[in-house]
Amino acid sequence: MTSLHSPLAHVELPEAHAHAGVTLREDKFRGHLNLRGNPQDEAFTSAAEKVLGVALPTAPNSAVENDAVRVYWLCPNEWLLLVAEGAEGQTEADLRAAMEGQHIAVTDLSSGQTLINLSGENLPEVMMKSTVYDCHESNFPVGKAVQTTFAKAGATIYKCADGSYDLVIRRSFADYIFLWLKDACAEYGLAVQ
Amino acid sequence: MSQVNRLQQGGRVDRSKPLTFTWNGKQFQGYQGDTLASAMLANGIKVVGRSFKYSRPRGIFGHGAEEANALMQLGVGKETIPNPRATQVELFNGLEASATNGWPNSDFDLMEWVGKIGGKMMPPGFYYKTFMWPEKMWMTYEKFIRKAAGYGKASLEADPDIYDKLNRHCDVMVVGAGPAGLAAALEAGRAGKRVILADEQNEFGGSLLASKQSVNGQPAAEWAEAAAAELAAMDNVVCLPRTTVFGYYDQNFLGALERRTDHEGMTAPSGSRQRIHRIRAHQVVLATGAIERPLVFANNDLPGVMLSGSVATYVNRFGVVPGNRAVVMTTNDSGYQTALDIHAAGRTVVAIVDTRHNPEGRLLDAARAAGITVKTGHAVIEAKGGKQVTDALVAPIDAAGDSVTGKPVSMSCDLIAVAGGWSPVVHLSCHTGSRPQWNDDIAAFVPGPSIQKQHLAGAIIGEYTTAGALNMGAAMGAEAAGAEAGSNYDCGDESVCPAQPMYLVPHTKSVMRAPKQFVDFQNDVTAAGITLANNEGFESIEHVKRYTAMGFGTDQGKTGNINGMAITAKNLGKTIAETGTTIFRPAYTPVTFGALGGRDIGDLLDPARHTAMHPWHVENGALFENVGQWKRPWYYPKAGETMQDTLNRECMAVRNSVGMVDASTLGKIDIQGKDAREFLNRVYTNAFSKLAPGKCRYGLMLKEDGMVFDDGVTACINDNHFVMTTTSGGAAAVMSWLEMWSQTEWPELEVYFTSVTDHWATCSFSGPNARKVLAKLCDDVDLSADAFKFMDWREGTVAGIKARIFRISFTGELAYEVNVPANQGLYMWQKIMAAGEEFGITPYGTETMHVLRAEKGYIIVGQDTDGSLTPQDCGMDWIVGKKKEFSFLGKRSFTRPDTARTDRKHLVGLKPIDPTVVIPEGSQAVADPNQPIPMDMLGHVTSSYWSECLGHGIAMGTVKNGFNMMGETVYFPQADGRVLAAEIVSPVFYDAKGERHHD
Amino acid sequence: MLHIYCPYCEELREEEEFSYSGEAHIARPTDPEALTDAEWGDYVFFRKNPRGLHHEMWNHAAGCRRYFNATRDTQSYEIHETYKMGEKPSVTSQGAAQ
Repeated sequence: MTSLHSPLAHVELPEAHAHAGVTLREDKFRGHLNLRGNPQDEAFTSAAEKVLGVALPTAPNSAVENDAVRVYWLCPNEWLLLVAEGAEGQTEADLRAAMEGQHIAVTDLSSGQTLINLSGENLPEVMMKSTVYDCHESNFPVGKAVQTTFAKAGATIYKCADGSYDLVIRRSFADYIFLWLKDACAEYGLAVQ
Repeated sequence: MSQVNRLQQGGRVDRSKPLTFTWNGKQFQGYQGDTLASAMLANGIKVVGRSFKYSRPRGIFGHGAEEANALMQLGVGKETIPNPRATQVELFNGLEASATNGWPNSDFDLMEWVGKIGGKMMPPGFYYKTFMWPEKMWMTYEKFIRKAAGYGKASLEADPDIYDKLNRHCDVMVVGAGPAGLAAALEAGRAGKRVILADEQNEFGGSLLASKQSVNGQPAAEWAEAAAAELAAMDNVVCLPRTTVFGYYDQNFLGALERRTDHEGMTAPSGSRQRIHRIRAHQVVLATGAIERPLVFANNDLPGVMLSGSVATYVNRFGVVPGNRAVVMTTNDSGYQTALDIHAAGRTVVAIVDTRHNPEGRLLDAARAAGITVKTGHAVIEAKGGKQVTDALVAPIDAAGDSVTGKPVSMSCDLIAVAGGWSPVVHLSCHTGSRPQWNDDIAAFVPGPSIQKQHLAGAIIGEYTTAGALNMGAAMGAEAAGAEAGSNYDCGDESVCPAQPMYLVPHTKSVMRAPKQFVDFQNDVTAAGITLANNEGFESIEHVKRYTAMGFGTDQGKTGNINGMAITAKNLGKTIAETGTTIFRPAYTPVTFGALGGRDIGDLLDPARHTAMHPWHVENGALFENVGQWKRPWYYPKAGETMQDTLNRECMAVRNSVGMVDASTLGKIDIQGKDAREFLNRVYTNAFSKLAPGKCRYGLMLKEDGMVFDDGVTACINDNHFVMTTTSGGAAAVMSWLEMWSQTEWPELEVYFTSVTDHWATCSFSGPNARKVLAKLCDDVDLSADAFKFMDWREGTVAGIKARIFRISFTGELAYEVNVPANQGLYMWQKIMAAGEEFGITPYGTETMHVLRAEKGYIIVGQDTDGSLTPQDCGMDWIVGKKKEFSFLGKRSFTRPDTARTDRKHLVGLKPIDPTVVIPEGSQAVADPNQPIPMDMLGHVTSSYWSECLGHGIAMGTVKNGFNMMGETVYFPQADGRVLAAEIVSPVFYDAKGERHHD
Repeated sequence: MLHIYCPYCEELREEEEFSYSGEAHIARPTDPEALTDAEWGDYVFFRKNPRGLHHEMWNHAAGCRRYFNATRDTQSYEIHETYKMGEKPSVTSQGAAQ
């Protein structure tokens, strides 16, 4: 028996549809870390860059990534770090060590949220059903990350290079969001990977 | 029955596609492209309903949103749709329509007889007059009115259809796809902007579709088709036909209702039947056109009296002439074109009756050339007929239009087309708070100044020529797009002769004595009714509206309002500009509740939040309770148990052995930074200065008014790191509260907050055997009572998983809370259940938790408190720090005279005198149950349960001056007449010394 | 539905992302115990309710979670400006200040 259950581990798959207009994939068990610190403090930013290998993004609604980590700007002094499954402990320890004595916070949220990826040709319409944010390419280019509402829950939405969206959602809302997506995608067909 | 009024050719209907429909149970035929109204008119159907107050027969009057009479009941059973206008229902095969009123049917209506008397019984202000005297008669009158009211009935069964919503965004939103809207959308679309074009009709083109004009040499309808096709081909343009923009809200937010499948059948074959588009636009172009004004003359509500432009639309767009012998009454040139169209269709135009004394120009010449009789300086002063028009009484009038100057003559006819000028559709502009302004040049209200990024084009601001509308549309579309207009339109000679404003056609009798001259058809408001209201002293147009109910129907006075306002102005000796107008609010036309609800119904109405252990609770038969958005196990019934049986079993398991509750829903906030301690000192009543790592402390949070706001336990991880818990329902509010003080008031304190509610799963088990259960799973923590004390926490390995173990108790028993990352929460729960099996570990829900804590006198913030209790009122003065340096939030309010009173409502224990009684929660406390009503209320029961372990009911509640009344009896009169009594006691009913949880 | 510019996210966002947090620029007294009951009551209970320009606090609850201020016309609902905590409004009922 595994000790790990992702937020969407137990969902009931929707009935098979001849054509899946939208595909949902849960990228489960990723390491999620919340980082707080002062972006004006060079000691902080350089320590973060040293540990993460990328500079913390300071432009609103942006994200940067390398092979090991994707860093979301959440607010002027807050970032979300997505690392590989199990890497969160070491990353947290490395950050704490590098930022010793600074006014920072590192908080493990790996179990508190999950990453789902949505793709498919009917995705634009499903996004219009689900969020008040304007997901048109002119407003939501690849690489942008936005915290907004998704149905009646919240989500951090990232536009991937392949046109799909990564959504970071809170664990307790995962069942509701899945229910919402199953309903919103019913007319197009929803596939779950 | 054949389509007696259908022309052999012409119009935009497809005669190769006949459609069958029923009206009041009888079968008829129409064509693809018909509206229900055009098909009914094609079949010669005259009476479509009965009027609201007088039960008079009514016929189709208009051709679009302005229609006030032809409200339909579509379909039957669960699919039925009440009250759409026949003029806006596209015909489909098998459509079943019936009248919304009329008994036994709309053609032969008994209520008409009642109405003839009832009319005298129901003058304007009837409701208000009736309310005043005699009050108790209202119920009788109301039943009578409701039965007579002309509205359809909703199904009581569930709607089989679904409805949904899309959030849309655009650079330029164009409302209306008539000439101005099409031209605007073309300019903005060609400029590359994101454009949305919405129109309520099935086809784009508006008036162009029924026009015999040409646009730049091309027939108008063809030009419209080409424009629509060009727009449809643009990736940057979203075309929404069959879509009514029903509301225009702040900062260019618009609501639009798209009827996606209404034209195909009663229910949608797949997907949603209707969809609301929630549109945020950078720029809005309103090209909503104008609605023709009716003329107010005697019996102007008879079936067969129709708007002139509507008649022309039926002729030109649908190939239907709704009569054989037409009298056209006009105050402007519009009526002439209608007369020419009827004439060209081969039917008789008895006369054009023009109120103007000296009209001239191309249309007058054309009418005369066609041999049509034109009577200038005349008016139709009265229509004659029973269920339909049979004659028009035509009389000469003076140049001002105030009086009849000669003997009326009767003209035999079955159609009176009326052209009273045009009222711009200012509704949407009004929605954002802009007041319409009277424009004397066009004798109409136009949109007033607006702070929205809004542009107006076409008839909405009185540009009534087609070329003018097109060119203005192009200019506004370009302006909205920040571009230069690239098109110029020419539609030939559109010159007109000036119109004559005419709001009330004179009669040989005075307005109070003439046959009814209707202003508002849907609410049966007459010129006499408005005059009576004015005579009774109603002068403000808003008061007149409410007193007469003018404009209150589903048509919202689209046709009648201006005439009514003008009549009021004249009665008061003022100008229309002075009396002003009422303003319009959303929705422009009715929106179904289904569409407004969208998918926010059933399980999607409100998010249900689940803990990591939720699947286990479901599998093990838990019933759930809503706590905020959380679904928490309420209790776990076993076969054959009543709820009380279950609670007794769960409670006794905890008291005698061990039970476990899922406490994951408690809010958890991770607090880091060197000033975390100081921050906690400021937001809690008690001191956190000396809370050592490894220790926990219960805290109470107040608002600045000194009232209890939240509570919870905070653990010290290290000097710079704490974890706070909050109530399940208060988590978000507490998080915002902390952030607010940190961000706005104390930014100098170095502290960060992160919500970790969802990250940690919490298994809380308690009872005398709790330690034994934990010992089976954890061997790296010294669990002995001396080493791991009450209110300590330890980090350890439980069932192989790194966990935070808190020794805190909400039950009064020895208890542990094991916190693990939620991905491992389900596993941990199962491991603890397995380890506890030999002790009979019993899962319990929120109800048992409430009983257990109530036995201990522990409060639940939000149940026992309601924002009006201080810590002192709750008997919790012990938790108020007296020596804290910083004046913590709420502290100063303790010494306010009202808070400092010693006779406030106090939270006390209540022990029922009859031990078998459980006093209902919410019961009101009184000192003397025999006091006459209204009694003096002392307080109320906030929590009340049966305590199985104590063998009697227990309760908590507020009682005025309760702390000073210990041992006294208070009474709780019940709705059923019983009076329950309770003794005021300490709220701690169980283990008053607190020995068990320290064990 | 208001359209509100978040000065931290530097974008216009829909109203449903925000929550209203009352009148802006109300500082907590530094020494509450030194205040009279009336002064403390003013701070706790009394708020302006102007017809016209109003400086008010909003929280970008579903976004960056930052509190900020807005100058809004309570009659027309026009939002003249939003500005960060600690900053002063540039649009006031006395006209454009500074």
